[in-house]
Amino acid sequence: MQGYVRAGSSQPVWLFPFIVSVVLLLSVLPLARLAVVGISAFANGGVMVVLSDPMVWSAVYYTIVTAILGTVISLVIGCAFAYLLTLTDIPAKGPLSFFFVLPMMIPPQVTALAWVQMSGPSSPLLKALHIAPPMGSPQPLYSVGGIALLYGVQHAPLVYLALRAGLMTLPRDGVEAARLSGASSLRVFRDIILPLSLPGVIAGAAISFVSCTGNFGIPAILGIPASIFTLPTLIFSKFTAFTGRTFGDVALLSAIIALISLAGLAIQDRALRGRDYRVIGLSGATAAFELGGWKLIFTPLLWIILFFMLAAPFFALVAGALVPAYGVPLTFKTMTFHAFEEILFRQAVTRTAFINSLSLASGAAVGLLFVTVLAAYALTRRKDTLSRIVSSLVEIPYSLPGIVMAVCFILVFAAPIPLLNVTLYGTVWIILIAYFSSFFAVSLKPVVSAFHQLDPALEEAARLSGAGFFRRLKDIIVPLIAPAAGASVILVFLIACNELTISALLWSAGTQTLGVAIYNLDDSGSSDLASALSVLVVFMVVAMMLLLELLAKHLPKGVVPWRS
Amino acid sequence: MKTLVSAAALLAASLFAIPASAANLVLYTSQPNEDAQATVDGFMAANTDIKVDWVRDGTPKIMAKLQAEIQAGNPVADVLLIADVVTLERLKEEGKLLAYKSPEAAQYDAALYDADGYYYSTKLITTGIMYNTSAAMKPTSWKDLAKPEAKGLVTMPSPLASGAALIHAQTLAAVPGLGWDFYKSLADNAAVASGGNGVVLKSVASGEKAYGMVVDYLPIREKAKGAPVEFVFPSEGVSAVTEPVGILASTKNADAAKKFVDYILSEKGQEGFLKLGYIPARNGMKLPDGFPPRDTIKVLPVKAAEALKNTDKDLKTFTDLFGSK
Repeated sequence: MQGYVRAGSSQPVWLFPFIVSVVLLLSVLPLARLAVVGISAFANGGVMVVLSDPMVWSAVYYTIVTAILGTVISLVIGCAFAYLLTLTDIPAKGPLSFFFVLPMMIPPQVTALAWVQMSGPSSPLLKALHIAPPMGSPQPLYSVGGIALLYGVQHAPLVYLALRAGLMTLPRDGVEAARLSGASSLRVFRDIILPLSLPGVIAGAAISFVSCTGNFGIPAILGIPASIFTLPTLIFSKFTAFTGRTFGDVALLSAIIALISLAGLAIQDRALRGRDYRVIGLSGATAAFELGGWKLIFTPLLWIILFFMLAAPFFALVAGALVPAYGVPLTFKTMTFHAFEEILFRQAVTRTAFINSLSLASGAAVGLLFVTVLAAYALTRRKDTLSRIVSSLVEIPYSLPGIVMAVCFILVFAAPIPLLNVTLYGTVWIILIAYFSSFFAVSLKPVVSAFHQLDPALEEAARLSGAGFFRRLKDIIVPLIAPAAGASVILVFLIACNELTISALLWSAGTQTLGVAIYNLDDSGSSDLASALSVLVVFMVVAMMLLLELLAKHLPKGVVPWRS
Repeated sequence: MKTLVSAAALLAASLFAIPASAANLVLYTSQPNEDAQATVDGFMAANTDIKVDWVRDGTPKIMAKLQAEIQAGNPVADVLLIADVVTLERLKEEGKLLAYKSPEAAQYDAALYDADGYYYSTKLITTGIMYNTSAAMKPTSWKDLAKPEAKGLVTMPSPLASGAALIHAQTLAAVPGLGWDFYKSLADNAAVASGGNGVVLKSVASGEKAYGMVVDYLPIREKAKGAPVEFVFPSEGVSAVTEPVGILASTKNADAAKKFVDYILSEKGQEGFLKLGYIPARNGMKLPDGFPPRDTIKVLPVKAAEALKNTDKDLKTFTDLFGSK
């Protein structure tokens, strides 16, 4: 039978070149442009000016230290939740999992704002409870520890999801064999589960580390007041003090961030080497452990962690939106809805930001889907070196921090496009293209895995019966990969909706995103307005997640990340 | 499932209406968001045929944005309404501004606008001292901020983020008996400088710090809302910026931009500023509530040309003392 079906000959001639040119435009061109600007700055001796600036080195130091600490914190929290929710019979798993993933979906600067409102002498919440620290005491979060703590909270769900995916496929027979031989739960965990789930832990750690090095929202709100600059915030401040040298300086700083991220990924590769466990057997080691009496300890513990991660900051945010003026204690008498009124009915920026964020997110999600279906088709049908190179080129922009990609796109599109004579800089399109580039990999993953599961015989049969490429796409391929396509759209939408790092550098009049609007309101001293807008964004995110939760029944397994 | 995906795609497609900026006028301003919105709303109520899009950021930041856009060959802004004349003077010298002789100028002191009509001052914003009502000391002079009682409790805006802060530093640096030595004594007293005036307001009102240098209208306005703060005009005098308005030479909407300038300078526009708690620049206007009589406020002079020449040097002096925040 094999001889009749020759895979790989069914592609239209234009398909692969088309995909290659898209990848060249989205991945290669911007990074090459960055390299050129960096190298020319190098040649002009600008590199010495940058490298001899102590600010740069302190930013490198802070970036690495906060990222490492943040990764450790996110590992501790993420692993605890992953092991307990996947392997034990702890009650209320569904809600716990849903709430635990929530912080990941909330823009980091909202998280930072909420925590600031929650602690320190200025906290409306603590003032209302009469436990605010005395005047002149510093805000404890404006520190390396504060930044790292919030990195941990923000990225713990990433670790949780990475590890959970691995735990889901643990073979049950190993655990059962050990159990039958009389091993204690602890022993089973230490000798079987831990070693087998280590790749998931390492992968989670790497994702968390890279996300920390590229995070802008948290160090912008917590670091700048204490003059702790990380590389992303330093790049931002270079742009806010624009000189003729800015582009060159920023190119070099971006290269340093890229190097740190790649070093993190290289360490992950090293750690994973020789750890290729192919496990066979019945997967789904769910509820392998009965907690018994431990339930009384672990259940409240998880809920308390969740309370501090979610509920307390959220109430602080609401309190911050309801105070009439700074420093006024919040009581039922002083409470005012002025901030919500201003945000909902007067500030034009609210509507602009909601429209921009929603349309950019849906534009990126749906637009990318068209490209990814074609790309996934081409890349899974060809099995040569070239297609492997293209696949890895798609990954690069996603693994680099958003701020680096934003800088790349500014460099590419700052000047008018030759021949067309259009300038994209300062328009909404430059943000959309940057989103395309950064989230290409996110969109591609689920679709590629769906293609790997397709039986090529189906399509071949249609081809032999004379169906053209688009006909095959419409009648056979698209219906079969539809669930994965849905997942890809939803994921890109949620990520793009809450993004700040890219748009922080690319926004302009009328193209503010939600992330930018919140940051700017807080910066102008209107933290009551910033809090009110943040509360609305949190509601929006929760509504979207609930919608997914309701749809989960109709979606294939694994699409909704927090469900088993 | 299939219907679900196509429904989702339809929904997404319907959301993906291109956010076109249908505005006929783009304003770059350094006023806080609520004030900027109120100003723009007032103008649009008076000129129903013009739509205004606006962007708010600290003066240095908004200028950086503009410079980056100019370098990219795509300046988005039509009108600037930013902190200080020094910045606009620089733009004028670079040939980036459009001259417009507004008929409203007759109601203004000649010192308050550019003779060729490149920019017009719109209000008077002074920088003095605000303190938290539970602070131990009631400061009356700039030098009080360098006293041991205020150690580690003083905050001020950074000239890198606020135009008013730069002019303020340059003004005090030229006052005999204060000068950069005064700033050095503040740095020795563990004073901090970061962010714009909004940040200072927040940290003093909330008690993170006890004393702050800040623009007048913020604490006066917040006090009226019940915030535990007071504002003083120090005995040595206060610095002032005048928040000028100017039209960019690259504008494609010159007529709308001129209408905007006229509105801001008109009695109606000035009354809007008065309502927001600013001292209007126009002759014969009242002062907002909470201000002492106009003649008791001692405004220190600043030499614009000199300030412009020394900007980079002064920024460096400042950041060497307080770090670049």
